[in-house]
Amino acid sequence: MKLKETILNPIFKGNPITVLILGICSSLAVTVEMKGALVMALSVTIVTGLSSLICSLLRKTIPNRVRIIIQLVVVALMVILVDQFLKSFEATYPIDKQLSVYIGLIITNCIVMGRIEAFALGNKPIPSLLDGLANGVGYGLILIIVAFFRELLGSGTLFGIPVLSKLGYVNNGLMILPPMALILIGCIIWVQRSIQKDLQEK
Amino acid sequence: MNTNSNIYTVIYTTLVCVLVAAILAFVSQWLKPKQDANEKAETISQILTAAGFDQKAHWQEVGNAATLDFYKENLAEASLVNAQGETVGTLDKDKAVIYTPSELKVQNRSIKGGKEFKVPVYTFSNGVTVIPVYGAGLWGPVWGYLSFDENLDKLVGAYFDHESETPGLGGKIKDDPAFRAQFQGKSVDFADAKPFDIVKGGAPAGKENAIDAITGATMTSKGLNEAIVNWLEAYKGYLQGKVQAKAAEEAALAAEAEAEAAEENAETTAE
Repeated sequence: MKLKETILNPIFKGNPITVLILGICSSLAVTVEMKGALVMALSVTIVTGLSSLICSLLRKTIPNRVRIIIQLVVVALMVILVDQFLKSFEATYPIDKQLSVYIGLIITNCIVMGRIEAFALGNKPIPSLLDGLANGVGYGLILIIVAFFRELLGSGTLFGIPVLSKLGYVNNGLMILPPMALILIGCIIWVQRSIQKDLQEK
Repeated sequence: MNTNSNIYTVIYTTLVCVLVAAILAFVSQWLKPKQDANEKAETISQILTAAGFDQKAHWQEVGNAATLDFYKENLAEASLVNAQGETVGTLDKDKAVIYTPSELKVQNRSIKGGKEFKVPVYTFSNGVTVIPVYGAGLWGPVWGYLSFDENLDKLVGAYFDHESETPGLGGKIKDDPAFRAQFQGKSVDFADAKPFDIVKGGAPAGKENAIDAITGATMTSKGLNEAIVNWLEAYKGYLQGKVQAKAAEEAALAAEAEAEAAEENAETTAE
C-alpha cells in the first residue's frame, strides 16, 4: 500500500511542478515542442530514478557533512551519461541538438536533488528508485501538457505534424515565448487546486 | 565505523570522484566515434540542403549512411583556400572529410584576428559551390552555408544553424524556410560597403545583395549578417579570382571566335 502511494503521490497529489513548484525553469524552456518535451521528460525520469537508486544504495556510507556534494556528483554523472547517449544515436541526435544546454541543466533541476535529500537518503533502494521515477513522470506529465498547448496554438502542429495550421489557423507568437509557459502552468495549478481543496491556503 | 571523521570523508570523496571520472572517461572514449559520425552527417546534410539537393527533413529520413553516399557521389571537389584565393589543400573526398562547426570556429578566430586561415570550398558536380559562414548570434554561435551557381555570381540557396537562439524568433534562421528562400537569386557585391546585407525593416526593393531581417530577432539577424560579411570577405580572393578567371576565359573564347570570324571574313573577301 505504501509503495503504491510512493508511485502515485508524485504524479498528481504531490506533483513536483504544480504542488512543490520545483523544476519550473526547465519547463519554460523545453515546452515549445512536444518532441523536445517528451525527450526531456524521459531524460529527467531516468536521471531522478537512477540517481535516487544510487544515493539510496550509498546512503549508509555517505559522510553527512559532504552529502550534498556526493549527491551532486552522482546526479552530474547520470546527466552526462544521458547526454552522451542521446548524442550517440542517429535517432536522438537531432533532438539532443535542439535541447542543447537544457539536458546538461537537468543537474540543476531541483526535483532531482530534492528527492534524493528528502527520500532516497532515508529509504531503501527499491522505493527510492520508484520515488525517483514517479517524480520524473509527474514532472514529464506537466511538461507534455504544457507543450501540447504551446505547440498546438503556437505553431499549429503536434510532433511537427500540421494540425491547426491546415485549418487556416494563424499562429499565436505569444505561445512560443517563455511567459506563456508560466501562464499555462499557473492554469494547471489553478485547476488542480480547485479539485484538491486541501492544497488551498486559508 | 565513524562516517563523520575527517579521514573517512576525504578518502570517500576522493574515491567517488576518481570512480566517476573513470566512468565518464571510458564512456566518452567509447561513444566518441558515434558522436563524431553523427555530427559529420549532420554537417553534410546541411551542406547538401544549402546546395539545393533536397530538404533538410529528407536527409534526416534517409539516415547518415545514405547522406554520406549521396555527398560522395555528387561532390566534385572539396578544397581549402586561403585569403588570396589560392588552393592550399584538398579534403579527402572518399572519406567525406568536411569542416565541422568546431573547426569553422577555429578558422573564424583567425579570420577575425587577421591571421592566416584555410577555409573549405565544396564544389559539386552540377556546378554549385558551397561555402560556410560562422559567427556569433544573440546567445551563442550561428553558422551556415551559402551556395553559388556555377558562375559564382548568384546565390542559389542557404542553410543556417545555431546553438541556442530563441526558438520562434532567432531560431527562424534555421526553422523558417521563407527566410532561407530569400537568398535564392541574390548576389554578392564586394563594391558595396556590405557585400551582403540583412536589413531590419525590409530590404529596399530591387537591391540585389540584401534580404529582409527576421522580425523580433534583430540581434540574431545582425550577428548572422556579420558572420556572412566576415566570411564573404575571407572568400573574396577566391570568389573574385574565380569570377575573373571565368571572365578571362570567356573573353579568350570570344576573342578566338572573333579571330575565327575575321579569318572567315578575310577568306570570303579573298574569294
